[in-house]
Amino acid sequence: MGWRQSLQGADVPMGRTIYLNEPLRNAFCENSISTAKYSMWSFLPRYLYLQFSKTANAFFLFITILQQIPDVSPTGKYTTLVPLLVILVISGIKEIVEDYKRHMADKLVNSKNTIVLRQNAWQMILWKEVNVGDIVKATNGQFLPADMVLISSSEPQATCFVATSNLDGETNLKIRQALSETATMKTEKQLSNLSGKIKCEEPNFHFNSFAGTLYLNEKSPISIGPDQVLLRGTQLKNTEWILGIVVYTGFETKFMQNAVKSPLKRSKVEKVTNMQILVLFLLLLVMSLVSCVGAIYWKDRYRAEPWYIGKSDYDYHSFGFDLLVFIILYHNLIPISLLVTLEIVKYIQALFINWDEDMHFKGSNVYAMARTSNLNEELGQVEYLFSDKTGTLTCNVMTFKKCSIAGITYGDLSSKSDDGAKGFSQSPCFISDTYEFNDPALLQNFENDHPTKEYIKEFLTLLCVCHTVVPEREGNNISYQASSPDEAALVKGAKKLGFVFTTRMPNSVTIEAMGEELTFEILNVLEFSSNRKRMSIIVRTPEGRLRLYCKGADSVIYERLSENSLFVEETLVHLENFAKEGLRTLCVAYIDLTEIEYEQWLVMYKKAITVVKDRMKTLEDCYDSIEKKFLLLGATAIEDRLQARVPETITSLLKANIKIWVLTGDKQETAINIAYSCKLLSGQMPRIQLNANSLEATQQVISQNCQDLGALLGKENDLALIIDGKTLKYALHVEVRKCFLNLALSCRTVLCCRLSPLQKAEIVDVVKKQVKAITLAIGDGANDVGMIQTAHVGVGISGNEGMLATNNSDYAIAQFSYLEKLLLVHGAWNYFRVTKCILYCFYKNVVLYIIELWFAIVNGFSGQIIFERWCISLYNVIFTSLPPFTLGIFERCCSQESLLRYPQLYRISQTGDIFNIKVLWIQCINAIVHSFILFWLPAKMLEHDMVLQSGYTTDYLFLGNFIYTYVVVTVCLKAGLETMSWNKFTHFAIWGSIMIWLGFFAVYSSLWPTVPVAPEMTGQGSMALVCPHFWLGFFIVPIVCLIQNVAWKSIRNTCHRTLLEEVREMESSGVQVLRRDSVQRSKVEEVNLQRSASPRPCHVIFRNNSVDLGAPHGYAFSQVERAVISQEELVRSYDTTKNKPQKTFSSATLE
Amino acid sequence: MKRKCQDYESRLPDNTAVKQQQLPAFRLQLTASEILSGFFAIGLFCLGMGIILLLSAKSIKEVEGNVYLYYKLYGFYQNLYRYILSRSNIQLVGADVKDVRNCAPFRTSDNGLPIAPCGAIANSMFNDTIVLWYNFNSSTHIRVPMVRTETAWWTDKYVKFQNPAFQNLSSAFAGTAKPPNWPKPVYELDEKDPGNNGFINDDFIVWMRTAAFPNFKKLYRRLHRIGNFTEGLPAGSYSFIINYNFPVSRFQGQKAVVLSTLTWSGGSSLFLALAYLVTGAVTLLASFSMMALHLKLKERKTFFLQ
Repeated sequence: MGWRQSLQGADVPMGRTIYLNEPLRNAFCENSISTAKYSMWSFLPRYLYLQFSKTANAFFLFITILQQIPDVSPTGKYTTLVPLLVILVISGIKEIVEDYKRHMADKLVNSKNTIVLRQNAWQMILWKEVNVGDIVKATNGQFLPADMVLISSSEPQATCFVATSNLDGETNLKIRQALSETATMKTEKQLSNLSGKIKCEEPNFHFNSFAGTLYLNEKSPISIGPDQVLLRGTQLKNTEWILGIVVYTGFETKFMQNAVKSPLKRSKVEKVTNMQILVLFLLLLVMSLVSCVGAIYWKDRYRAEPWYIGKSDYDYHSFGFDLLVFIILYHNLIPISLLVTLEIVKYIQALFINWDEDMHFKGSNVYAMARTSNLNEELGQVEYLFSDKTGTLTCNVMTFKKCSIAGITYGDLSSKSDDGAKGFSQSPCFISDTYEFNDPALLQNFENDHPTKEYIKEFLTLLCVCHTVVPEREGNNISYQASSPDEAALVKGAKKLGFVFTTRMPNSVTIEAMGEELTFEILNVLEFSSNRKRMSIIVRTPEGRLRLYCKGADSVIYERLSENSLFVEETLVHLENFAKEGLRTLCVAYIDLTEIEYEQWLVMYKKAITVVKDRMKTLEDCYDSIEKKFLLLGATAIEDRLQARVPETITSLLKANIKIWVLTGDKQETAINIAYSCKLLSGQMPRIQLNANSLEATQQVISQNCQDLGALLGKENDLALIIDGKTLKYALHVEVRKCFLNLALSCRTVLCCRLSPLQKAEIVDVVKKQVKAITLAIGDGANDVGMIQTAHVGVGISGNEGMLATNNSDYAIAQFSYLEKLLLVHGAWNYFRVTKCILYCFYKNVVLYIIELWFAIVNGFSGQIIFERWCISLYNVIFTSLPPFTLGIFERCCSQESLLRYPQLYRISQTGDIFNIKVLWIQCINAIVHSFILFWLPAKMLEHDMVLQSGYTTDYLFLGNFIYTYVVVTVCLKAGLETMSWNKFTHFAIWGSIMIWLGFFAVYSSLWPTVPVAPEMTGQGSMALVCPHFWLGFFIVPIVCLIQNVAWKSIRNTCHRTLLEEVREMESSGVQVLRRDSVQRSKVEEVNLQRSASPRPCHVIFRNNSVDLGAPHGYAFSQVERAVISQEELVRSYDTTKNKPQKTFSSATLE
Repeated sequence: MKRKCQDYESRLPDNTAVKQQQLPAFRLQLTASEILSGFFAIGLFCLGMGIILLLSAKSIKEVEGNVYLYYKLYGFYQNLYRYILSRSNIQLVGADVKDVRNCAPFRTSDNGLPIAPCGAIANSMFNDTIVLWYNFNSSTHIRVPMVRTETAWWTDKYVKFQNPAFQNLSSAFAGTAKPPNWPKPVYELDEKDPGNNGFINDDFIVWMRTAAFPNFKKLYRRLHRIGNFTEGLPAGSYSFIINYNFPVSRFQGQKAVVLSTLTWSGGSSLFLALAYLVTGAVTLLASFSMMALHLKLKERKTFFLQ
């Protein structure tokens, strides 16, 4: 695996020196990236190598070479070479077209614009022209073109925010801060006078590490850490502009280092097909050997060659020579056109995916895109789905949805209007207002002096004050910038309810509460950490009182409530309801402090901040000492908004027996919340949470859980397994791995949180290898690239600006919900199509070429062919080439409505029962029976040699042409039998192929000697086509062949009706299928009910404390932790009353 | 799909049924009634055809009308790979009489001249002469008039086989040798009819069309319907006088002479008639048993569909 290899060479010491403003001394790789397979020059050798590394093509090359040996080939010298060339040219064209598209996609990324400092002036250049050492300027919302060291920014203290969700999937923004030594360098002049060098480590793939040193002339060296580094693939947020020095470019950026070279993926069907080709090859060898033995026997019987053959100049008939003759004679058993037929078929299937209007996202006008066509049928076999969370299941948009104030819950109204709105628009991500908190009851209660009015006021004030958000005023609009999306949602929610947070100053915040301006002096910010699960703020209210506002997890807040606190029970019930809906909940509480209390605490606090050792711990203890005796106000519920139809899609996929694992880099609580809201987790489902710190502990907790499960281990239970990245590292150790997988596979839902991109790929790899099931990974960010490439099928969510996931995926769709159609409809259809097409290709070749064996029996195993040689090689290229295409392109096992309605149908393709070696053997035996009939019936018909008018006698080729015609008819009609839905193309392919052969037959037999081909065909057409026997056989022979197939099929359908047949029958009998609430309960519906209820409630008694049986907790909160500068410092650095002085600078420089 | 209905309106004109995979299609649904009626129809059709063929085969009156004389060889493999290969179509079409490339092992004679016609097929040509005599009475034997031309396919005689373009045949074949087994060169095959000589000799052409099976007939003569033989061969006693040249014992074979007339469908073989009859009967039988099976399982089936 590529991502394993890239682990090596991580500890390279400072290997790179970048000279500032000396572009000539910085020679590193270009910033352009390429994901294409070929270049202009490497095309031919690489393409030929790839083609001939396919066994079948190599085989035909071998046959072509054999045919060049004089007198060995009964079929001439070029009869294999020509079709092989045709096929190579066709698939070559296809490769070129596909690679051209990749070149174009790369070009799109490479030719994005960015601004760099060149010749002392800002210039707009393309991404690919960015070099190491360049000073780049990026503005708000832009993606960064390369890895760079931050020099300065527009913000106070030279900070900036970046969204790294593309890289690690985390929702919160990251703060980066420039070195104080460079923070003042903002003008062109300053920058171009910069001289010195940066030494840093060699490129590696660790996102969170960077070690470098800045040597500015005449200054002491300054060390640079990850906090100064901005990575390619991240997006600048809430920061007007930044300046940075490029340190890594192109493939050397951490972003690209994490991307491994796209592995060549082969579908399971393709692997089975290769096996089947091998089987056919064995059949070919067996037939050749049998024929050789037959030849020996024949010669033995006649002692020597009959006199009429004459004495050969040399001994042709050695065993080895005979074997070669027979291998060439029978080599067409292996269908030469199969591979190219499949390539074209799959290419068109991919186009169907691209064209599908149901997978067209109108919001951003993005169509689904099949980036490879190799895996179309693999989409029909997916058993494990690994999904990213942020950006894939969710929109990465938080909205304040509900709240509970003083024991009354608000905001339920909006959920009712949801359905209508959702039906109208495909994605809620782009609509804001309809989804926000909308409950007039809250304001009514407030205005009408409801008993809880004071609580409501206090609640909303808290939301306005207790946070680290920075307001930005443009005219009358206030927008909020926050590193925590949750806080932004709360502040926005409060604003909508009339409590507007307007101004932040270093020591105070100002809010407008229902038009009344209030200023709160901020005394202390008690920071959030995931350990504390809460943040508090101590303020002096406008009335001059000291108050502590706190918001945090229900568990920590409830521990600290005073006995006087009211509404405790009611709020708890509300919290539980919120959590069940998958909302992110926070409890809010406050406490009034006395001056003495505060003074005492302040002394403690001041001591704590000066502690050097374990300052974090000391501070937290200090915070803890004042956060007590809270009075509960209520709870908030924030929706981490799901993409459209995610829960429905997941339900449908679960019904299709696809197991869904969520792999996220985000926090455990967040993941659990989302799992609830998208119905992966349900109310009372026991949750096994694995969080351990050591290998032993992990091993112990896993084996404990396995023991508890007992006999249920290995079956699917209604359980959820939740594991974090650290524990997973231990769980994937060799000794524990098997146990862990057993446990994970026994659970209905698996959530893996806090995973690194590598871990995501690793877990997919483990499941892929151990379970031997088809896996699909879906994600949108760079952190998902590994798993997208590792999984059998990788799906990227497109439309977001970061294109890396899309560019590394096999299929790109705009919305998670399109997966339903992609898998259940396109996947199932393509699987049926491809497998039918393959089996049919095998069938038709076996039918024709086994006839040579029957003929060998009557011709003394001499190697004579019964057909004209070009007819043989055109069989696959022309006369029977169309039916495989219609089967592969237009076949529909049943309508897409049914496939979507009954996801159970997916199991047919998922299990792969309709395509394996056994099925191939059945098909081969069927073909052998057909060929037996197709040879011996005409043979007996013509045996007496008197079938023509005027008593003319016939020859071997006359028989051959009879048989060939019947073969074409039988084989075409057989395609018709296999086709479940006939459209106009099917008709054309079937009847057209027969007509083409008859026409060709007539023309081809009158070419000699005008055109020097096929002298032996002369007159065959005119004789055969008027021969009554020809037409009598034309009806009877195909009927005899096919009637057994029809009879067998219908008997099987009568005795053992499959789900598919049932559905098809319902479809053809009319409208019932379209009526969802049909009163009739068919077998289908029953199966439907059984299956959806299949994972029975779990009745395991767990004896360990890793299992959470209780109601879900909804707590989740994302916030920057342990950043360069503390949140307190950060909020105190802003004064939004002042205009930013740098604004003029930025507009001036763009000219 | 609710969404789709709305999408229809917004679709661009190029979103055709083909692209959206919405092409109208006939679904091949093997329902019991369709299958059964199909089977019945096929069975009846085959039975009918079988009966017609059988009757027409039976209606042949022996040796009336056009009568054909065939020779038949047993155990002669004209279909051997090396045998079939050993001919020169370029030579036979008269283009280049010295083209003997593919004719091994009969390419050139011992003295190095190219053989015409070259190759194993030509060399092994059947060369018995068969004469049919009608024993009108014990003393009068009438030689039955036979035509030795128009026994080969038209295309063979006029397209595939052509003599080299020369005024007279012997000079056209100058510089070539006769096949080793032949007593006479190719331009003396038919001494009576100069138009039936050389490569376009009918007996030669018929022989050159290599048979599919080791036991085969070849058309030798057609009855010339004149005099007593206008209506065919009158009933009576006949004798063959055969000039035995062609050695069959050397390949453990046998030979025979066949006299036959033809119906509209060719020779009087019953095989095709039987094939139709058997297929028809089996299909009808199958459809009856399937009907029985269907009726037996019908209750279960309605249960499914309730």
